[in-house]
Amino acid sequence: MTNPSPTKTGMIDFRGVNKWFGALNVLKDITLSVEPREVVVVCGPSGSGKSTLIRCINGLETIKDGDLIVDGQRLGDPATNMAQLRTEIGFVFQSFNLYPHKTALENVTLAPIHVRKIPRAEAEQAGRDLLAKVGLADKVNAYPSQLSGGQQQRVAIARCLGMRPKIMLFDEPTSALDPEMISEVLDVMVAVAEEGMTMMVVTHEMGFARKVAQRVVFMDAGAIVESGTPEEFFSAPKTDRSRAFLSKILRH
Amino acid sequence: MLENFSFRTIIEYLPLFGQGLITTVWLSALSFAGALAVGIVLAAMNLQRSQLFRIPAKAYIDAVRATPLLAQLYFLYFGLPRLGFVLPELVVGILALSLNSGAYIAEIIRAGILSIPRGQVEAGVASGMTYVQRMRLVILPQAFKVTIPPLLGQAIVLVKDSALLSLISVSELTRAGQLLASDRFMPAEGFITIAAFYLLLYYCLKGLAGLSSRWLGLQPARSST
Amino acid sequence: MIWQQLQSLAGSYPLALRGLGMTVMLSLISLVLGTALGFGLGILRTGGNRLISSVIGAWVDLIRGTPFLVQIFLIFFILPEFGIELDAFTAGIIALTNLAACFICEIVAAGIRSVPTGQVEAALASGLSRWQRMRQVVLPQAMRIVLPPLVGQYVLLIKDSSVVSAIGLTDLTRVGWLVVQRVPNGLLVFFLVGVGYFIVCYPLIMLARRLERRMGAAHGEVQL
Ligand SMILES: Nc1ncnc2c1ncn2[C@@H]1O[C@H](COP(=O)(O)OP(=O)(O)OP(=O)(O)O)[C@@H](O)[C@H]1O
Ligand SMILES: [Mg+2]
Repeated sequence: MTNPSPTKTGMIDFRGVNKWFGALNVLKDITLSVEPREVVVVCGPSGSGKSTLIRCINGLETIKDGDLIVDGQRLGDPATNMAQLRTEIGFVFQSFNLYPHKTALENVTLAPIHVRKIPRAEAEQAGRDLLAKVGLADKVNAYPSQLSGGQQQRVAIARCLGMRPKIMLFDEPTSALDPEMISEVLDVMVAVAEEGMTMMVVTHEMGFARKVAQRVVFMDAGAIVESGTPEEFFSAPKTDRSRAFLSKILRH
Repeated sequence: MLENFSFRTIIEYLPLFGQGLITTVWLSALSFAGALAVGIVLAAMNLQRSQLFRIPAKAYIDAVRATPLLAQLYFLYFGLPRLGFVLPELVVGILALSLNSGAYIAEIIRAGILSIPRGQVEAGVASGMTYVQRMRLVILPQAFKVTIPPLLGQAIVLVKDSALLSLISVSELTRAGQLLASDRFMPAEGFITIAAFYLLLYYCLKGLAGLSSRWLGLQPARSST
Repeated sequence: MIWQQLQSLAGSYPLALRGLGMTVMLSLISLVLGTALGFGLGILRTGGNRLISSVIGAWVDLIRGTPFLVQIFLIFFILPEFGIELDAFTAGIIALTNLAACFICEIVAAGIRSVPTGQVEAALASGLSRWQRMRQVVLPQAMRIVLPPLVGQYVLLIKDSSVVSAIGLTDLTRVGWLVVQRVPNGLLVFFLVGVGYFIVCYPLIMLARRLERRMGAAHGEVQL
């Protein structure tokens, strides 16, 4: 288990974080530090608390005790401007959550125009460029209902990139997709990672983890059970639980 | 201000309010029964293939929905005597409420029947049932379930609508309030008291609607107008 | 006989027009005010403040649980006891606006609740403010649910405006009542009154039905 010295501050810093849903302790004493430009893959069985872990980072969930410091700002601190901090953090949902009443381009430009106050023309140009980058130059004016799952998820990634975030969080971005669409989304994620984005990715795509992750974190029942490089984790898992988990997902 | 608000007068008039409440309850119940009958007939007509039945039913429903109950009430009140029917105000009122609510109930029943998936009809056909058997054994029992909560919603509307009968001098609950307002110049006492009685009826029916949808395993009833 | 009556009715033509004008005015003013107020209340109702939400909920229940006629009487006869002098027109506008606002509040709240939480989370995650989330993301999607019953509510409002004739406002229904005292043919007079309402209400009923049918269509295919 990584146990960073308390003085060292990463881009994302969990220090003894606990969270409860009622009586259920969903996050148990989480300590984890993610360095700038680092890519961390989080995996673990269903219900182990992976989504909750990354949703805490942009305040979609609030924590009970412990400290969570993101980009130098402590969450829950009255001095922290949460809306401002959220603009620095992109979040990609399992179910895309594109705005159904807006076109692909409008999805990408909404926050830059209204939150970053970028002039419309400029934001639209940047939006077109981003959609081209994720391979959707021809879908600029399409509504989400006219796009495939893979295309929607790529728009969602472009929507995050439009805010020029420092951190990108992904919550199982490919698990709602048909198998043939998974790689088009993973390719975009690899490209984002290679540009030096700080990323936390909840996924069971081990190919992706091997390719770009510096670290794999394995969670079970709300706790971080194991953490190491992809090679260490995949070739020599240290605990019974991670071995059992790996044998299950690798069998697929 | 209401510093002269007189509970004593309210108590004094309580028998009158009680009478009014009872009249409102039974005339609403009677009108609701009438409305159900009207609604069932209209819904049945509306579900026929033949335009001969559907057009009059639709025209009736649209005419009722596009005009105010008060105008309908006056239509009957001032119009029936002309046709030679001189009826007591109470009867005219019940008639108006039945004919009015019947149009809304027809739509509720129709929606209930149309909400039954086509597969159910086809299953009935496949097992060799006649039209009447399919209706009786497959469609209606299921449709009955989904119509209960909106029917109770319509009952709430009907009870409130019955207040308009006070305008043709039927001595129901609102009329009792008007009497207190005009005899004793105590509109506050009169109207606040009857408002409380109407709320009582409203919460009873609303509670019933909630219970029924729970019993029937449906979502709690949404906005009843 | 009929001929005489028709002639006599034709004489009431200006009165009828005034009545129709009054009905349209009452409905239109309270429709605009009630819609604005109803949207505001609906947004507050779902805004997360428990106290505000339950106060609004209780008020809405109060209004939904009592006959509109009784509400008009309460406003017209009791507000003056609080030192607020009202003419019948103002009382009618207040009563109708309040009624519309309460029903629209519930319609809007239901629409807002129908927007998936993921939509709000996505907006939250990109740093949109509370008002921006409402304006840009939630309300446009809620409108699909809100619009058909909203138009239906307008029809109810126009019809309910007939009840203010009870406090002496000369609207279309009251005109019918006045005319029938002179021309004793209730069938004909109130048939014509009905036609007046029908002309205003029926197009709205058709519109509500059309909107309802369109509601199922996916975004982008049909623009409401
Ligand atoms: N809003 C909530 N209220 C109560 N319990 C919740 C809530 N959200 C999640 N939980 C519970 O918290 C636990 C962790 O949930 P979480 O969604 O973080 O798991 P996960 O690892 O992401 O699972 P999956 O792989 O299925 O997405 C689960 O037991 C879940 O049932
Ligand atoms: Mg999850």
